[in-house]
Formats: sequence, structure tokens, C-alpha cells
Amino acid sequence: MKKVVMGNHAVSYGVRASEVKVISAYPITPQTHVVELLSELVANGEIDAKFIKVESEHSAMAACVGASAAGSRAFTATSSQGLLLMTEMLHWAVGARLPIVLTNVNRAIGPPWSIWTDQNDSLSMRDVGWIQIYCESNQETQDAIPQAFKIAEEVNLPVMLVLDAFFLSHTYEIVDLLETEQVRDFLPPYNPEIKLDTNDPHSFGNLASPDYYMELRYMIEEAMNDARSVIKRVGKEFGEHFGRYYDMVVPYRCDDADVILVTSGTVASTTRAVIDEMRDEGIKIGALKIRVFRPFPFKEVSDILCSTKKVAVLDRNISFGNHGVFYQEVKSALYGKTDIPIIGYVLGLGGRDVTPKVIREIADKAIKDKNPEPYINWIGVKR
Amino acid sequence: MSKQIKFESYREMPIRPMTLDNMLWNETGSWRNVKPVYDNKVSPCILGCPAGENIQHYIQLVIDKKYKEAWETIIESNPMPAATGRVCSHPCMGKCTRGDYDEAVNINAIESALGDMGLDNPGWMRESEKAKKKKVAVIGSGPAGLSAAFYLARGGYSVTLYESEKALGGVLRWGIPEYRLPNCVLDRVIESILNSGPISVKAETVVGKDIKLKELEDSFDAVFIGVGLMESRKLGIPNEDCEGVESGLEYLKRVNSGDNLDSSKKTVVIGGGNTAMDVARSALRKGSDVTVVYRRTQAEMPAIASEIEEAEKEGVNFRFLAAPKEIVAEGGKLSKVIFQEMELGEPDESGRRRPVPLEGKTFTMEVGRLFTAIGEKADLDGFVPEIDTEWDLIKVSGEFGETNSKNIFAGGDIVTGAASVVEAVAAGRKAAEKIIRIFIGEADPPKQEETEFGIENINVDYFTKSNRTLKPRISVEEAKNGFEEIFRGFDEQLLQKEVDRCFSCGVCNYCDNCWVYCPDAAIVRKDDRYEIDYDYCKGCLVCVEECPRSALSIEEEGK
Repeated sequence: MKKVVMGNHAVSYGVRASEVKVISAYPITPQTHVVELLSELVANGEIDAKFIKVESEHSAMAACVGASAAGSRAFTATSSQGLLLMTEMLHWAVGARLPIVLTNVNRAIGPPWSIWTDQNDSLSMRDVGWIQIYCESNQETQDAIPQAFKIAEEVNLPVMLVLDAFFLSHTYEIVDLLETEQVRDFLPPYNPEIKLDTNDPHSFGNLASPDYYMELRYMIEEAMNDARSVIKRVGKEFGEHFGRYYDMVVPYRCDDADVILVTSGTVASTTRAVIDEMRDEGIKIGALKIRVFRPFPFKEVSDILCSTKKVAVLDRNISFGNHGVFYQEVKSALYGKTDIPIIGYVLGLGGRDVTPKVIREIADKAIKDKNPEPYINWIGVKR
Repeated sequence: MSKQIKFESYREMPIRPMTLDNMLWNETGSWRNVKPVYDNKVSPCILGCPAGENIQHYIQLVIDKKYKEAWETIIESNPMPAATGRVCSHPCMGKCTRGDYDEAVNINAIESALGDMGLDNPGWMRESEKAKKKKVAVIGSGPAGLSAAFYLARGGYSVTLYESEKALGGVLRWGIPEYRLPNCVLDRVIESILNSGPISVKAETVVGKDIKLKELEDSFDAVFIGVGLMESRKLGIPNEDCEGVESGLEYLKRVNSGDNLDSSKKTVVIGGGNTAMDVARSALRKGSDVTVVYRRTQAEMPAIASEIEEAEKEGVNFRFLAAPKEIVAEGGKLSKVIFQEMELGEPDESGRRRPVPLEGKTFTMEVGRLFTAIGEKADLDGFVPEIDTEWDLIKVSGEFGETNSKNIFAGGDIVTGAASVVEAVAAGRKAAEKIIRIFIGEADPPKQEETEFGIENINVDYFTKSNRTLKPRISVEEAKNGFEEIFRGFDEQLLQKEVDRCFSCGVCNYCDNCWVYCPDAAIVRKDDRYEIDYDYCKGCLVCVEECPRSALSIEEEGK
């Protein structure tokens, strides 16, 4: 059934279709609508789940950890400061190998207070061990949820789905809503072999000596590596079920491009409009959207970018002291594989508009720029 | 040593970090899936000592300057540390874990120092227990007999000690030269033993001749036979009885009793054991040119290695792989010896390679005096047929020296064949303890459990490498010109220096490392031990890791 819904509600409908058993969340702008609709769906019986009210995001994730350890499919959503408050429990979910799914609405971090988008909240969690997937449309935010549970439950790692504040969360689009019955074929019920059991109690997350801690860490990294093929396969299976295919990265008119702009999130669709415009002018330019940030798609990124002459990375985030995060990652993916210039641009922080005009400005500059600047290319800063 | 689970690969580990064991022992859950426990082991030195001296313990007492308590600890197992500290082959040191790190602790020297302190402090010897009615005859006043007499008398039982010679001590007096064990020291050792309880001595009394075994059996509640091996084995070659050929043991006895003797002739000693070394070095001190002839090589010599070394330093010559074939006598007097050359063949039952004659290869030596030291044998005349024998030794059943006769026990060389002083001491004590248990109707104690312990159980990072502290000694030149005791005892400074090297293998010595390192302050110091407050213990095992000596073990929870 197609319906015009806001991005946040697309998330809620994705949760409904995935037969989640425990939802524990704390409202925060701009995520609030996700939780609001979920509580309604649980109250009216459309979702057969336990909705646990908590006093903080830390508790929300703690409740999900407990629920997941007990063998329930668990979901939460948050944003910005809420995600940061969860940090300890985010690590816990990874170490305990629990397949929790979290939707994070990207919102800039205060102070100063901001309610608008940028990626610093989720990207500051890049080393925690969550699989991270950046969504571009309301349809994708919904579709990502059952895929996320399927991936998480297969590799025993939690998945964070990320969408831009307002540009997705509060924007209405037509979404083909998933029906629970259809999804059931795609996503079987969750029934883990190891779970909390009062009849056979074990301690979970107990102390591991230096003799074994590293092995458990190694197993997480191995799961992250396994996730690469699982994500691809699940994206393909989803396509077979619902006609919409998903992959690690989305290249756009890259084949003969002399310059490729690397993007993520909603900036990707804006960029594609600019690419079309420039191609019409005869400029050989393309775009590469990075959908899955963790595990980082090294092979896909380097395969596509090594065939071009110049790479420009657009970062809606800043890793203070070392450029944007996607820029660092792309450079590391290309290390030793090519000599082409890789130039980083930081833009759109705190929700500043990234319009086609801004993208065009960067594209024109990127074509001219010969070598990467030793400093960060700040776009639109009043200096 | 520990019971910790070991994963060889991450593939064996559960995907979720979790306890493998059931948590019913702590239903609120715990960080802990393994726990540390204080678990003292038996140090290897103790297992290495035939007498079972609690070496680790007395060394730790010496560190605390509790010399009396240290000496008392030895006395529990060995009544003559001043003697064994001088003559023991110290198998304990062969087991010392420190030997795999730098050099074994000089346990022998520590024992000797404590033994001397005991002689200097006769008041340290506790009174014997209240006098009992039962009485025991002990035959032989060598290490086995003295040891048996001591532990019986200490328990309050009257002992009558029978000795065929005038002076007591047996092999300690007649078989060991004064430069190793001076008579004045031995006298004090014997005096201390005789003063320890109700012991009466019947010297110059030969059992079997002056008094029959049967009489002793009838008039005493138990009898202990510890007569040692009195007769030298014969070479079994022509002209062995001619003048100039003598048993090494007889010679030592004469030297020890002060007989002067002309040994200015070329002397040959046959044998490779401690008696051969003692004879050779004694003859050397009497001015003779001495050659030891041994049928195997130095590696197979049963003598204590340091004795061989000293003999070499003093100038004793060695001729290996040769055995006397024939003695040539002129006018009834020794003139030459024809030797058969040997080579090493297959290992025999002792594990040493058997000497095999090299066909047709002999050599002849001009010899003025030939001493035989190829082993001793028992004189069983006084004991057969009443006592069962086997291989010309007294046959015992069990580890306490029980003979076929109900109240007669035996121990020492007469049972084992030529062995060490400390083994005889051990046998005497064990028989005495058994006799007492029979008197009071007590069961035998359980056997000591042996634990595997090696350098891998020592956290060597806590120990600085150091050399063994050696006993002070007189020079080789001084030594070989007389019978002065070569090695001197440790003074307190040397003693403290050496005891400090003890690892205290497997036994807590309150070093506080666990207490210092426990990140959760879960270790509680008590007066004489530590306790773990498991309400606080997270099972991190830092205490086990940092224990320098494996005095802690690991136990799995919930098992």
C-alpha cells in the first residue's frame, strides 16, 4: 500500500512490518515522531510488542540489551545528544553480540544547541562496532529496517540506520508500506540459540582475562567482515521480494567520469541532479553514494574510484584535526591503489542547506583544483 | 596445576561472552567464572629430600631469623643436620627450581649452618615426652640406628642402643674422613641425640655373638636393625689376599681412629663411589701418589660430583675403563696389578652402560698398595635364619622397614644396599614412627600427594639472577696436607644471603604481592595468611598471575 508519510513514520512502519517484540525509546527532536507513532501502534495492537518507557536513552539501550539477550527482537530510535548518552550501552550491545536495530536521526551536536542535521553524532560512533547504513529516502528508511534485523541476526552485530534530520525525518514522500505478512517470508522470527534462561542461568558479559578478550574482539571484527557479503545478499533478497534492490554503494554515471563526487545521505540525491545538469553540458562527472559506512566498502569504493581522474569527497561532518570522516575513509580505501588527487570538502554542518548550487560550486572547484589542499576546504564559511 | 578452562582457538569459544558454567551458585550473576584460591603445594626440594625435611619452611623461618624454629623444623625429620649438612648428597638441590633459573639454593650449607646452631644451643632440644613403659632395642649406631633411637626416645620410649664398636657413629665415624665430617662434630651430634631422651648405650656388643637377636626380641617390645654394611666386597681375582691389598673401608677406619700409616707407596683405589673418593683422598693426605681405577667412565661414577671434583683438584689421578684382572705378588707381597681394559656396552638394570672387557687388551701397573672400594656387603650372621633376607640384605615389606618378624624392623644400608646417609636417617625415623604407631594403635598417615612443580610455575620477573653462596673453604693446598675440615659453615650474613634466594616454590610466604595487586581490595590480610572476600572478587586472577610462586590456584566456578 502506498502512502504519503514523513521519514520518521516510515521508520515506524518498517518496525511494524518487522514484528519487533520490544521497543524501548526516549523521545528527542527530531526523532520524536518515530516513538510517538510506535507507541500508538503498540497501543492499538498493530504491533504485538512490549513498549518500555524509560527515563533516558542510556536506559532505552540498556532495556534493548536485556530484551535482545533474552531472545527478543528489539528496536530503539534516537538522535544526537541521545545517541551520545547511549554510548556505553552501544558498546555493550556490540560486545554482547546482540542484534539490536537503532534508527538515528542525524542531528548536529551542541553546544550551541542545534536541531538540524549533520553526521557528527553517528560518525562519532564509528569505532564502536555497529553496522552503519545511511539512508537517502523515506522509502529506504522503511525498507532498511527488516533488512537491518536480518543482517544483525545473521552476524550477531547491532545495526544503526541513519537518516538526515528534517530533510528526511520531517519530509513527506510516497512510501510503499511493507505488510507484515509479506515481510515474514523475508525475515523469519528471531530465535537465538544462546539467550538468557532462568532455568539454565549463565552470566553474560562476565570478565574475560587477557587470555581471551582479544579473541572475542577478533570475533567481532570477523563478524564485521562477514557482514559485507550478508548486507549485499540481504539487499538482493529484499529486491527479489519487494522489487527494490539495495547495495553497499550506489554509483551514478561513474563509468567514463573524469571527476567523481563522493556523497552520503540526502546530499546524494541533490548531487545526482547536479551530475545530470553537468553531463548535459558535456562535463564527464559522476557521483558515488556510500550507503554502508560500517563495514566500510573498501573494495566497491576503490573499484569505482580507481577508474577516474579525480575524487571529491563531500563531508557533512568534521573530524576536528583531520578533515571529514568520509574523506579519511575514502583516502584509506584508495591508499596504494592510485595517484589521483582526492580532495575533501566540508559542508552543510548544523543543517546548513546543501543546495544544487552548492554542489555545483564544489564540482566546478573540484574540476579546477589540482591537488588536495593541505587544509580543509570549508564550503560557505563566512571568513 | 590450575583447573582453568583453556580455549585453544576462538572457534571453541561461545559467540557471546558468557560463562560456560551454570550460575546457580550466584543467582544475581557475577563477573567471575573462575576464582583464585590459596593452595599451597609441596615444594620440589621437600619431595627431593629422602628424609622429607620441610626445607621450604625452615628456609622461610631463617629469613625471619627464627633460627630455633627453623632448626626444630629440621629435627622433625632429621636429628643430625650438622652431619648431613656436611656429607649429604643433597638430592633436594637437584630438585631445586632455582637450578633451572640460575643455580640451586645451597640447601646443604643452610642445613649445616642450622645444624651447628643446634649443637651450639643444646637448650633448643625439647624434653622428650613423658616416659612410656615400652622399650626398644636399636642395633647399630650409624645414621639409621641413631635416627631410630632419637625418634623413639623423643617419644618417651626407652631405647637400648647396641654398637659393636667402642665409639658410636657407624659409617659416619668409620667411613667418612675427618676433612668432611670432623670427629669433634660427630661427637657433639651423637651427644645431642643421646641427651634427647632415655637412651642407654651398649657399646662393643655384637648382636648374634654377645647377645642373641632372640633375647632382644624377648626382652624388648620392638627391635630395630640398622647395622649398615660392614664388609667390603672382594674383587674375586687371584692373589687378592696378599699383603698390600686391603679393603678401603678398613683403611678409612684405621685413618679415622688415628692410626698412623705409611702410604708413601704408589696407591691404587678400585671403585667409583664415595668410599673410593674418601680412600683416595685420605691416602693422598698420607703422602701417597694415588690413582683411582674405575671400570666405567666419570659420567657413571656414583660418587657425589663435588667429591670427584675435589679429589681431582687435590691431585688424585683417574684411570677410567679398566678393572683389575690379576694381582701379581712377590714373596706374598703385592708388586703389580694387571688391568683389563673395558669399553661401555648396553645399559644395565641401573641404567648405566655396562662395562665390557676389550678382548686381549690389558696393561700392568706397579702398585705398592691396593685398596678395594667396589662396594660393601652385609654381615647377616646375627640375624639369619630368623630374619628373611633377599640379595644378601634384610628383606622388608612396606615403607616402614617391617621384617617378617612381627616386632623387628630394619632400615638403612642393611635393607637398601649401599645408599646415602640421609636415606638411612629417613629409614630410621620411619621405622621409629611406625613402631610408635603400633604401640599406641594409630593408623599410618596418608601418603604425601606429589605435585608437579617447575620453573614454569615461578614468575621469574620477580627474581634477580644470583649465584649460589658457597661455603667458605680452606685452599686445596691446605686441604690436601691434612685432615682439617675443608668446608666451613655459613655465618649469619652468608646464611641470610643464601636463604634470600629461595623461591618458596608453591608456598605462600606472605610477600603481599596478591594483596598489593588485587584491583578490588578483595584480599584480606590475616595474621598468618590471606583470605579472599569473594563478595568483592571479580575473578580477574591478577593475584594468581602476580603470585611469584604459584601459591594460588584457579578453580572454575559452578563446578
